[in-house]
Amino acid sequence: MKKRLIVFLSLVLLLSFLTACMGSSEGLATSETGDEQETEAEKEPVEEVDPSSISSYNEAPELKELVESGKIPSVEERLPVAEDVMVEEVYEETGVYGGNITIPWKGADDEWTVGKPTEEPLFRFNEDGSRVEPNVAKGYDVNDDATEFTIYLREGMKWSDGVPFTADDVLFYWEHMLTKETFGKSVYDAYFSVDPETGERHMAEVTKVDDYTFKVTHKFSSPDFLKRVAIDNKWFFAPAHFHKTILPEFVGEEKASEIATEWGFADVKSFLKATGYYYWTNVEIPTLRAWVASNDPHSEEFVMKRNPYYWKVDKEGNQLPYVNNFIAKKIQDPSHAMLGMLGGDFNLGKFLVQDFTVLKENEQKADFRVLLWPSVNFTSAAIVLNQGVEDNNLRSLVQNIKFREALSVAVDRHEVTEIVTNGIGEPIQASVPEGLVGHQEGWKDQWAEFNPDRANQLLDEIGLTEKNSNGFRLYEDGSVVTLTITDQNQASAEFLELVKNYYENVGVKVNIKFVDPGTYSDQLYNNQLQATTAIPSVVNVALRPDVLVPLRLGQPWQGDFGLYRESNGEEGTKPEGEIAKLVENWDKLRAASTEEKAMEYANEIYKLHHKNQWLLGYAGPTPSLVVAANSLRNVPEERFFADEFREIGHGHPAQFFIKE
Amino acid sequence: MLKYILRRIILVIPVLILVSVIVFFIIQLPPGDYVTHFAAEMAAQGETLTQEEMDELRATLNLDRHWFVQYLFWMKDILLHFDFGHSFNYDEPVTAVIDRYMALTLIVSFITMAFTYLVAIPIGIYSAVKHYSIGDYIASTIGFLGMATPNFLLAIILMYFSYVNFGDPLLGLFSSEYENAAWSWGKVWDLAKHMVIPIIVIGTASTAGLIRIMRGQLLDEINKPNVVTARSKGLSESRILFKYPTRAALNPIVSTFGWTLSNIFTGSTITAIVLNLPIQGPVMYNALLGQDMYLAGTWLLFMAILTVLGTLISDILLAWLDPKIRTEIKGG
Repeated sequence: MKKRLIVFLSLVLLLSFLTACMGSSEGLATSETGDEQETEAEKEPVEEVDPSSISSYNEAPELKELVESGKIPSVEERLPVAEDVMVEEVYEETGVYGGNITIPWKGADDEWTVGKPTEEPLFRFNEDGSRVEPNVAKGYDVNDDATEFTIYLREGMKWSDGVPFTADDVLFYWEHMLTKETFGKSVYDAYFSVDPETGERHMAEVTKVDDYTFKVTHKFSSPDFLKRVAIDNKWFFAPAHFHKTILPEFVGEEKASEIATEWGFADVKSFLKATGYYYWTNVEIPTLRAWVASNDPHSEEFVMKRNPYYWKVDKEGNQLPYVNNFIAKKIQDPSHAMLGMLGGDFNLGKFLVQDFTVLKENEQKADFRVLLWPSVNFTSAAIVLNQGVEDNNLRSLVQNIKFREALSVAVDRHEVTEIVTNGIGEPIQASVPEGLVGHQEGWKDQWAEFNPDRANQLLDEIGLTEKNSNGFRLYEDGSVVTLTITDQNQASAEFLELVKNYYENVGVKVNIKFVDPGTYSDQLYNNQLQATTAIPSVVNVALRPDVLVPLRLGQPWQGDFGLYRESNGEEGTKPEGEIAKLVENWDKLRAASTEEKAMEYANEIYKLHHKNQWLLGYAGPTPSLVVAANSLRNVPEERFFADEFREIGHGHPAQFFIKE
Repeated sequence: MLKYILRRIILVIPVLILVSVIVFFIIQLPPGDYVTHFAAEMAAQGETLTQEEMDELRATLNLDRHWFVQYLFWMKDILLHFDFGHSFNYDEPVTAVIDRYMALTLIVSFITMAFTYLVAIPIGIYSAVKHYSIGDYIASTIGFLGMATPNFLLAIILMYFSYVNFGDPLLGLFSSEYENAAWSWGKVWDLAKHMVIPIIVIGTASTAGLIRIMRGQLLDEINKPNVVTARSKGLSESRILFKYPTRAALNPIVSTFGWTLSNIFTGSTITAIVLNLPIQGPVMYNALLGQDMYLAGTWLLFMAILTVLGTLISDILLAWLDPKIRTEIKGG
């Protein structure tokens, strides 16, 4: 166990060093303040801290008072047993208690904005996202053929209301919530293993070993199981003692509906979804998070307060989190996030690269620093053609690789990067960025050279030689070759104007349509989009395949093929040719017995995307901007910013602190 | 008079039924429904919904039924249980949502209205009495500027000045420290500070219009025979002004009371969004955008009731104010 940990830690160190090197070679302007200090911090060898070596614990003054007045037990009793306490590494320095983190959010239906940074998964991703590390779980053992995962929990760990957290909470979640589908989600794909012979899916079995150990048994090898759980189902547990008081299975349908009405819900289903899935905004529900809800999320300010039973400490034994409250302040328009950041209403926020100039200009005055967190996007300016578009003429065109190449070389990427990304992005094709799984040599330069002659030649070769008096190419039936690009966001207007101009230069007529998000989503789900600008973003196709492999409805480039798979062939269109190969490779990947084999098939999927370039990109990926007040410390200079890694949560906000 | 009022009230009922049907019909007209909107919202946050999940959600919310069936369900609950349904967006009863924003909406509206009347009527009278004087020109110029400048732009300009000079764009109605605090003098003062921009912004537009109306009306009235007669009988100028022409000039202000009443309850919308004010306008706007049918429906119904009610009140007030109208109603 220990040996593995050391190997693991040194790997982390190595990788973090590598990412740090890569980051600086990108040549992006980083803030000057505290730069040296941070690089030093990263170079310093990580000392492995044995949790049981910490002799005494410290706690926030407000908790000390509560202990003294006898309202809560002492810190030793609140934390897990000494050897099971989790020691969190601090990024810069050991912090002090006090202050608040204040972020903007859109209100109670924006639950992920507070959900992601406060999330405590069973296993979390390490710094570069290449593997998972223990979090809520203390560790795991896996047998040789990756069918049996024994997962160890932390003894003495408690929910935020002081009730012990045990394997029963995992079993309860599995037996009474997830497999019963009480909260509107079906059992996640991670829990299924695939028979390599027949392709049949088998659901795993979850059994309790003792109070702090449980076992997940798959029928067939499932080497990616822990990573996939870390993405699909981060919280593989729920407070049994709370849910027993509301689930219809325990209180009866009638009583459950009564409780739902009492809580203000229209029906039991939406009540169970709000309590079982989006649970963290409910004051009544205990969690394992560093901060727990303390008031109505519909308030103008939603305040999450320090969890006195939080189970992480720093290496000096200070119980985390350092910061008192995690506050989400309601904004009605995205621009308020910027205004509030400038005005000092917020001390932490995430922004898009479009805001870079304004943020940088005000860095001094507003006393914050702009951190560039690399994204896992394929590109920052995408044109996504719907491969299953209904119009017959257009479908055979977009499925033709020459057409895609023509559209790709018809555009001057240098101009796009200058105008759309302020020159931050590179003039390259949509591809997997370096440093991520699936990166392919030469992909980024594929069809990236601006060459309108070549585009014209390709379009002629396809047979679109006839033109009308406006110079637009015609199909055989005499209708104009027209592409309607629909977007839900005016932010892409500049980019689309450029694209329209370039496409029309080579004779492809473009209509640009801006619609509201509801209409967009309606068209997306009904296969009415011809083309859009949705930016593909993938951490690892083996872990979250939807974007690259047609498995489900909802991806603009292949939704109709995805629907075919999702509905078991009842709806949608059967994929053919290379797209069908994507699905074949995915099926093989799921049935693979080792991680290496799975990666081989994943690589095949990436190669197919490289070869066919279904997703076109006109500017390289740009980083996400994380803005932190200068008084808010321990915010990492850079981490991959991805939903899979929980965005800012990847920086471990429990160890952020306010330095006066 | 009483008979007139009664007849008006009875006429209100079919109007409201018609309005509510139209409202419901219009809300569901745009493509998609709440579920597609929800899916879009969740997709933006990184969560994808499957077709199955969406269908199930639709069935739970009755969205798979014909809109008229949904309307009948809704009406049934309103009439039998006085239950206006649930807001999808907020996941709570519509009345709870409206209730939450009501107090601040009314505070903002009343203070703005008071500001408008207190500023507009005196200025209007002044520029009519002293028309073509320098004061009149200044008032008219400012009035026209106020009318021509879009509210939200003015809001942005004022926020900019506030940020540049005080380092705080004064968003919302409270500072962080008072947001969740109980009412105290400190909180009232904080609110007052934050109210300056909204009142100026929301108030200016209507003030400008009102000044023009007041001035125009008074100019019409000020040379009428009754005023000339009063003056010839030796009444003081101020007595004449307030007794006859001003009273008549108030007529258009009173007759637009119908709209004013519903405005009081919604507050402004665009300006409120720009200024991040927690009042009804933006809530309503988001309900329409998100196809939150019951919330939007209840709101529009409520507005219709208020408009009808407001018109009724303004008719009664007019009768009280204007003897000519009074006799007409009595005669009818």
